[in-house]
Amino acid sequence: MKSAYIHIPFCSSICSYCDFCKFFYNGDLVDKYIDSLIMEIKDNYKGEELDTIYIGGGTPSSLDLKQLDKLLSFISNSLKVSKDLEYTIECNVMDITLEKLELFKKYNINRLSIGIESFNKDILSFLERDYTKEDIIEKISQAKQYFTNINIDLMYAVPNETLDILKEDILEFLKLDIPHISCYSLMIEDHTKLGIKDTNYISEDLDYSMYKLIEDTLEENGYDHYEISNYSKPGYESRHNLCYWKNHKYYGFGLGASGYIANYRYTNTKNLNKYLNGNYIAEKEIITKELNASNYAILGLRTKYGINKKEFKDNIGEDINQYFDTSDLSENDDSFYLDKSKWYIENSILVKFI
Amino acid sequence: MQENIRNFCIIAHIDHGKSTLADRLLEETGALDKRELKEQTLDSMDIERERGITIKLNAVELNYKKNNKDYLLHLIDTPGHVDFSYEVSRSLAACEGALLVVDAAQGIEAQTLANLYLAIEHDLTIIPVINKIDLPNARPEEVKQELIDAIGFSPDEFIYTSAKTGEGIPELLEAIVDRIPAPTGKDNNKLQALIFDSVFDSYRGVIVACCVKEGTLKVGDKIEFMETKATYDVTELYVTTPKEVKKDYLEAGDVGYIVASIKDINDVKVGDTVTLAKDKADKPLPGYIPMKSMVFCGIYPIEANKFEDLREALEKLKLNDASLTFEPETSSALGFGFRCGFLGLLHMEIIEERISREFNIEIIATSPNVSYEVVLTTGEKIIISSPAELPAKEKITSILEPYIKTNIISPAEYIGPLMELCQDKRGTFINMEYIDKTRVNIHYELPLSEIVYDFFDKLKSYTKGYASFDYEFIGYRESNLVKMDILLNGEQVDALSTIVHKDFAYQRGKKVVESLRKLIPRQLFEVPVQAAINGKIIARETIKALRKDVLAKCYGGDITRKRKLLEKQKEGKKRMKQVGRVEVPQEAFLAVLKMED
Repeated sequence: MKSAYIHIPFCSSICSYCDFCKFFYNGDLVDKYIDSLIMEIKDNYKGEELDTIYIGGGTPSSLDLKQLDKLLSFISNSLKVSKDLEYTIECNVMDITLEKLELFKKYNINRLSIGIESFNKDILSFLERDYTKEDIIEKISQAKQYFTNINIDLMYAVPNETLDILKEDILEFLKLDIPHISCYSLMIEDHTKLGIKDTNYISEDLDYSMYKLIEDTLEENGYDHYEISNYSKPGYESRHNLCYWKNHKYYGFGLGASGYIANYRYTNTKNLNKYLNGNYIAEKEIITKELNASNYAILGLRTKYGINKKEFKDNIGEDINQYFDTSDLSENDDSFYLDKSKWYIENSILVKFI
Repeated sequence: MQENIRNFCIIAHIDHGKSTLADRLLEETGALDKRELKEQTLDSMDIERERGITIKLNAVELNYKKNNKDYLLHLIDTPGHVDFSYEVSRSLAACEGALLVVDAAQGIEAQTLANLYLAIEHDLTIIPVINKIDLPNARPEEVKQELIDAIGFSPDEFIYTSAKTGEGIPELLEAIVDRIPAPTGKDNNKLQALIFDSVFDSYRGVIVACCVKEGTLKVGDKIEFMETKATYDVTELYVTTPKEVKKDYLEAGDVGYIVASIKDINDVKVGDTVTLAKDKADKPLPGYIPMKSMVFCGIYPIEANKFEDLREALEKLKLNDASLTFEPETSSALGFGFRCGFLGLLHMEIIEERISREFNIEIIATSPNVSYEVVLTTGEKIIISSPAELPAKEKITSILEPYIKTNIISPAEYIGPLMELCQDKRGTFINMEYIDKTRVNIHYELPLSEIVYDFFDKLKSYTKGYASFDYEFIGYRESNLVKMDILLNGEQVDALSTIVHKDFAYQRGKKVVESLRKLIPRQLFEVPVQAAINGKIIARETIKALRKDVLAKCYGGDITRKRKLLEKQKEGKKRMKQVGRVEVPQEAFLAVLKMED
């Protein structure tokens, strides 16, 4: 066990596309939630030394300083961490203040993930994000005084977005000189504001052109495309996310969080009342050898690292190319992987691995 | 005894309440009590119940007492659909009377009329029954007048019923006894029993449903089927009430079932005559016609290793359904499968559905076609049941296609659109009769292939569903026909080839490739879709290469969701057929049919 995810399900406003587990910020509820979260961690954490911690949401930065202090100090005091810990917290642009940055620093947080999504006025308003390009530039420069390891989330394939708008977004991003970026094509989920309004996807061809534009531009500028939606400067890959994609085990704490420990994957309840009453886990799924083998493929093939041969053999007991038909994959000394040209159509290949 | 027997059937349109009425008769005569009476007992197959139609026949014996006299009523069930009109005619031949059941709200429909004419041809006594009088929109008096005008009933012949509430059922039973004549055969004549159905029982073999017209049949007799010349020893005789009741003998007027360890369904032909091997009747009963498939399609297992399972399924289905024909066929696109022949489109759909439902085999059915007579330059005449069998153009002198004559019953206001539709479908107008003041029966001669194509759907949309339709086969006629091939990724897909009229080829080719472009999902590479006649491309579309098929965001917790998504995608892939390098969904093979004009 090397990783822990901690979920904070509160936001000060709800974005039109978001289907994560979240609630409007409410001071009282947050206090109770933090107590419950602390209980869950105490009850389940077995004392392993952790390499990565990731506080996500929702919007963890929407908590006030006192609440953040309580949570972060508990984490510092209770979780054992390794020397080269990667410790991330997700931040909303407008929540960034010197006080919060200082607090994060104090508790050894060393990576920020900031949801920017776009610099474009129309796109931001479509996504119901309440800030401007100028706000972003100001807040990022503040954050950079405290942190070098920063990620920015960028959204593309938003209705009415053009290649020109996207190009502009990428250029703005490059100017910020940030070492990591996650670029997600907009997904329209059923129970989101966009889903309810019957929003349509942009065309498949335009979506692909955007993906290629992002890949080409970022690679030209020294970013490594290491996962379908993630790019980094050398040494700045998200080690926490790589833990998921390498099919490693991790704790998931908090409302709706999921984890993978011992021989099962679990998902916590999304019902806040149940959670506050200490009924944390909603579902458990035993990971059989077959499921595990297929998870190695489904997750690993998203990254340039692919499926590690030795790890697969150690866990499954057979070589990958004995267990699976690997004719769609490429191979190097350590692993089988999916050529980058196939990443954006990976599902049509992954179906052969389930 | 025979004077107390009444053999009758029910003629009704789908949904006009035939099965419910039959149930009510069973209940009223005490054949089954309410608890035993599963709704619609006579329709025993699930598909029949779901579709509300009767496919396989059944005969039930009912005991009825009137004025202290015991009567034996035989209710012979008939299929209601035009595909099965020969089977209908045979069950009519087993009866002396028929109940014409007409919905009090909807009036008479084409299929009912067609079957009624059949019944009148067989000299049956018809009892007109106006059913569903409990409906709020029932208009029994108007419907009665329609029937008087159209068929010539006299006003006092009508019985009004509600099969739902039971109203009128006692009166109906009385009418059956009073009006329908008893059968007139003689027990001591030579045996002539009319086969009107057969069912397969895994323990007892093929069971023959028959009506004894003349003579007596006993357990232990050696019987002969006069058409197929097959002989068997009768091991068991029974009637259904609807429970099975064993009998030692069946005599003139009886309707019952023969068990004789019959292994081969092909020995038992509906319409054939059963006689005694030792004491044969001089001639068979009139009316036997060998059944001929009118509509054909290729049926292929999606998974190639299911070919033997499919054969087994077809063999099993055939045990109960002599009109189904099949023979192995190889398609370069679809692999090994069967070319199957059906009485009509409904028959085809039912078989396809039963294969997937009862035998759990995923299949691809090619678009249906009719059979053609091809006259070769050598003067030889061949019949083909698949476009793939069509010889090269240079070898053909002419091609003949089957024609049908229609009964289209429709409100008069749709005459214009209907005539337009029939003209578009290469029809020749014959005549038109007014059934009543508002409805007409339109007769056209049309190529059957146009009916198979999309006539039903068109008819419905042209008349807002008000028209009903029936047809009879009238023979083969010469037409200017060509074979249209479809090429996917440059390879000809034999299963998508069709024979079309030359004047329609260009237009249909365009539509087929267009709908294929929409139905075939994007592949990993670009796929051209072309239509060609004699090697000349007449239409083209392009399926673009797959660009995006990915779950962009995937956190640790999303793995379950991601897996579900992939599982669904895999399921969908299973239903695709690999044609060359292209994955083609099942629906695409019917695309040739389902097109909007």
